This record gives sequence, structure tokens and C-alpha cells, in this order.
Amino acid sequence: MPRVAITGLGFITSIGNDQATVCDSLRELKHGIAISPEFSERDPIATLGTIKGFDTASNDVEDWTYPEEYTVRREHIRSMSPHVLFAHCALVQAIKDAGLSDEEVSNRDTGLFTASAGSARGIHYNVERMNSIGIGRVSPMAVVSSVVGTLSFNLVASFKIKGASGGFASACASSGHALGYAFDEIKLGRQKRVFVVGAEDGNREAILPFAGMRALSPAKDPDIASRPFDAARNGFVGTGGGAVILLEELETAKARGAKIYGELAGWGQASDGYNVAISHPEGLGLAEAMRRAMASAEITPEQVDYVNAHATSTQIGDLSEVKGLNKAFEGYSPLVSSTKALTGHGLSLASAMETGFTALAMSENFTPGSAHIETIDPKIEGIDVLCESREGAPKYALKNSSGFGGANVTLVLKQFTGS
Amino acid sequence: MSSVPNNPLTPEQEESLRDSLKRCSPETITAAIAFRNQGDNSQAPMVIIGIIERFCEPDVRPKLKEPGADELRVAEDLGVDSLTMVEVVMLVEEALEITIDNSELGDLRTIGDVKTFVGYKLSGEAMPEPAKNIESLEIPDIMPHGDPFLFVQQAAIRGDEITGSYKISGEEDFLRGHFKDNPVFPASIMLEALGQLAVLYLLRADDEALAGKVDPSKILFTSCDGVRCSRVCKPGDTLSMSVKAKKIRHPGALFTGTILVDSEKAVFAEEISLKFDYAEGTVVAQEAEGESADKPAAE
Repeated sequence: MPRVAITGLGFITSIGNDQATVCDSLRELKHGIAISPEFSERDPIATLGTIKGFDTASNDVEDWTYPEEYTVRREHIRSMSPHVLFAHCALVQAIKDAGLSDEEVSNRDTGLFTASAGSARGIHYNVERMNSIGIGRVSPMAVVSSVVGTLSFNLVASFKIKGASGGFASACASSGHALGYAFDEIKLGRQKRVFVVGAEDGNREAILPFAGMRALSPAKDPDIASRPFDAARNGFVGTGGGAVILLEELETAKARGAKIYGELAGWGQASDGYNVAISHPEGLGLAEAMRRAMASAEITPEQVDYVNAHATSTQIGDLSEVKGLNKAFEGYSPLVSSTKALTGHGLSLASAMETGFTALAMSENFTPGSAHIETIDPKIEGIDVLCESREGAPKYALKNSSGFGGANVTLVLKQFTGS
Repeated sequence: MSSVPNNPLTPEQEESLRDSLKRCSPETITAAIAFRNQGDNSQAPMVIIGIIERFCEPDVRPKLKEPGADELRVAEDLGVDSLTMVEVVMLVEEALEITIDNSELGDLRTIGDVKTFVGYKLSGEAMPEPAKNIESLEIPDIMPHGDPFLFVQQAAIRGDEITGSYKISGEEDFLRGHFKDNPVFPASIMLEALGQLAVLYLLRADDEALAGKVDPSKILFTSCDGVRCSRVCKPGDTLSMSVKAKKIRHPGALFTGTILVDSEKAVFAEEISLKFDYAEGTVVAQEAEGESADKPAAE
């Protein structure tokens, strides 16, 4: 059966817009959270994981600014919402990182799977315009730039993708599903390569509605707002951005002498069947997703050195995950950390971004820690939370993701040993 | 639709117009303001070209300033797809205060077509009949010519003019010898291509000067005068041809023809003469047809 390698990474994230910066932030636990002008005094929250070097505040895409190393043609930017631009830049990075030629990107054996929630800002702006001025004055790009799927429409067209494509919508597990199904696509011999892209606008319209369900941290201090596993955690901090993981069939990757960050060795999923928004308090679905993922990778729990947790810094969610971990690992604990303490929670982007972090740490020989923990929640038992980054890479790592509706995905990453 | 604005712009309207056109060239904005304030229709083409330019990628913009810009094809040469055309139209409507239906856009292929269209819109006159496209697949069936000697791949007729194109593939057999190791499309074949376009006109145009159906087997190329060739054409080039009927009087037909490649003049032929004859029975048959059409209903 084909094996699946990770051979390219691209990041536009709150903790860095390139690999070196992201790596440094993960090692040194430098967060990317700030007081954001997206919120006003009247709003109950103040902080966001902010994307630096981009200004996408205007509803007119031609006002946008982005780092000068990227050039985006008008014919491409005209149909974008902010997250599509972030992802576009991350994809340029990943292609360059992987050293792929135009032909290697655009052929029937190279696909692209995406995960994003669409653009609430774009939809609102266009619908408002339609109702107040009339549909005749609404941009012809209104639909393709904003509905769920816009990320796929744009990237598939701009990068001339000719293989499999499509999007996944399981909220915060979306890009985990995208990675899982991309893995299957390669395992089944249907594709040689799949770009997996997660992205979110991360602006007011995308994030503030979560305050309506009391899921966001009201903290005004960016240094402690996001603190998964801390006793005083009080909700998540939102973030946007774009992350790209290139999955490639191992022999194809080796044949072209590709740099290999690690392998995606398997994955599993299971659903809670419990509540529309709240994860199962005993972590039943997530525990099963982890068991299935390990079975798929043909490893035992004791072989897992590290888990990059879903933990978003909410009271209920983090505990539910801890319970799930206890069930899946039964008396053993790998090191566990949540990099969301640094980035904030990227929603549909999260799983791809954090899989990228884990792969990067593996190849750079370290294990990222869980920042901002002053007092670990006393209710957390049996789990070894890693509070500082440490030297030495995990041989096997799990990446957990849980989405609304109780959708749980676990991915298994394996260090690449050269054979 | 009123063409001349009743009132000059208020300061607020002018500001709003400037804002809408803020990504256009300063000349475009000046022209739009003159158009709106003085009802100066002659400014309209400047406004439209300025708006199209604003929606083009920077690398194709200079083409609009070059001679022969009217021949530029909106989609192929400027990369303006149908969705971008909607953006262009929205801004033109706003700048010139006119209303354009989507159905009116389908036939606008070139910058010249766009200018002509807006000119008619503003004058309030009815548009001349839109160009009648002849399906590419039909052309080999209509024409007496066939592979490997048919040099018309696309064609459209508007009024007394037929336009068409031929892309030089490089596979044409004669290019092996014209010239050895240096394929150049022969000028004589370019004249032949213009002649073929004139043949297609005789076979398909609704020209009042034609009293019956022209018989495809009875058309002959008889002479060609005033020919100037000014550009070497090579594989990959697309010949954009246009042939205009100057005088048709059975059995003679006189045309002028031009070929452009990438908006650059390649061939001009002042007089292309054909001789033709009608298919038997078709001249008198026009009325007879009408009668016979009525007959089944009467029976």
C-alpha cells in the first residue's frame, strides 16, 4: 500500500507568515494574540490571533495590502475573501517549499482539498447591498467570493488544479477531515499528491458570534487570554489565517528528491452523537477517534510520544478531551500540549495549521509546549501536559480535532527515518 | 432612455462619480465628468475604454493605447471574461447613467463593437443588427472548399461586412516548403483566405443585391488589386480577417479585405473580385416559395 509523506508546508498564521518565524514562535512560546480593532468597547471580547503584514479590512479587495513577496493578479484577487488571500499566499509558500514545478502542481494526479467556513463578512456585505441598492449593483463575484466553497473555487482555478478537489465542513474538525480524506485518496492510489488547505477570515464577523454562545475569552490581556488546561481558562481566542500541507505518495516524493517532514501514518474519526455544539463530557467520540487512528497506523498507545491537543481553552472542551485521552491511552500518557495558547483557535483552519506545526517540530527535532499555564486545572488527572517546548521530536504524534455536532478526527504523524 | 443629462452634477454626485472611478486614469474621470456636465457624447468612448482598462491586468493595459485598439478582442486579447464584462458594464452604467441589458452584451466581441454599441445607446438610435455568427462546425459544410484548402475557421456577418479568423497551426503542408526550415504563411494564401471569406459572404449574407441563392459550385476568384502585405505571419499567429462588400451586381461581386494579426496590419487588398451565379430556380423561386408555403395551409 502506498505511504503518505508530508513534503510541503505553508503558513500565514498569527505566530508567523513563514516557517522560520513559526518555528521560533513554537520553540520560544511566543504568541500571536493582540487587542484587535475588529472589536469595540461595547463588545464583550477584545483579543484575536492577528495576521500581520496583511490589511484586508476593506470590502473593496483592491484596497487590500499584503506582503510584497506575493503578487496576486486582479483576475484572482477579485473573487477572494480575506481567508482566501491568506491561503493563496500559504499555498504559494508550500509549492515553493516543496520545490514543485508548474506541471507537478497542475495535472490529473494532484488534487486540492479545502476547509473554511466561507466569509460571513462577504455574505453580509453583499446581501446588505442587494437589499438596499438592488442586485444590479452587486458584484458578479459576490457568490463565488463568499459562500462556503470559495476557498476551493479560487485556489483550484488560480493554481490550475486538475486532480481531485472539494471542501469539508465539519466546523473545527474540517481541515482534519480534509487531511484524512486526502490521505485516503493517496492510499487508494487515486492521487499522487493532495494539497490540504485550511483557512479562516478570523475577523469580527467570523469570530464575535461565538461570544453569543459564551465560548470566547473576555480577557483583555493578550498574554493570558488563551490558556488551554489552565485552571483559570475562560474561553477561546479566535484567529484567522491560512495553512497548507502537501501530502505526497512517498515513492513519488522520494523519486523527485523531496524534503520529507514526516509521514501521515493513519487517521480515525468518530462522532459523539450527543449535542449540536458541546463535546461529549466524557470525550467518548474523541477517544474512539484516537483508538481508530492508532489502529489505522498500526501502533500501540505506548508508541505515541506526543499529542497536539484540540484544547481550545474552554472549561468544558478541554476537560472532555482530557477524559477522552485517558480512555484512549488507559494508564499511559504521552506528552500533551495545545498550540492554541499561542495562535488562538483557527476553527476550520485549526487542524491543518496544527498538523503543520507538529510536522515542522518533528523535522526540527523539538516538541512544542503548552503556553500560558500558571496553575494547571486540578481536574486534569493522568495526563502529562507539557508546559515548555523541549528538544527532541516525537517518533509518533497524534493531532486531535473536534468540531460542532461532536465530529472528532485524529491524525497520526510519524517521524520519517529515511526508509 | 435619455441620452443627454438634464442637469450638471451636484458636488455630491461628482464626488460619488470620482469615487466610483477612482481606479481609472485621470483622463477617464475628466471625460466622465465632461460627459455628465456638458452632455458631451464624444467623451463616451474615452470613458468606456478607461473603464475596460481599469479592469484589465496591468500587463495588457498598454495594448489599449496602441493603434488598432478597436480590433482588440475583449476576451482573447484583453482577458476580460464574461464576469469581468459584468463589472465593466456596472461601472459604465454608473458613469454614463445608461442601462444595459445582459442580452445586449453577447455580441460585443471587440473594443470597436463596445464603442459602437454605446454610441448607439447614447444617440437613442436602434442598433444595427447584431453580427450573425456562423457556427465554426458549419463552415466546412457551407463552403465549396474543404480540407486541406479551407482557411476560414470562424466567421460572423454584420451588415455588409463579414469577419473571420484562421489560426496558423504550423501543420499546413505547404509550410514545409515555404520556406525550407522557415515556415512563413504565403501572402498568396492570405489573399485566398480573404477570397474564401468573400465566398462565405455570398453564400450566407442577407444582401439585397443578391436576387437568389448563390450556388457554391459557381463562384470563382477572378482578380485582386491594390494588395499590400506588411507583416510576416507564422505558425501560432491568428489571422483576423475582415471583408466588406463594395458592390454586388450579378454576376460580379467586389470586396475590400484586411487581415490583422495581434492588431497589427498584415494584409490589405483594395479590390477582390469574384464571379458568381445563382442556384437554378432560386431567383424566381423566392415568390414561388412563398406561394408553396401557403398552399399546405389552404389545402
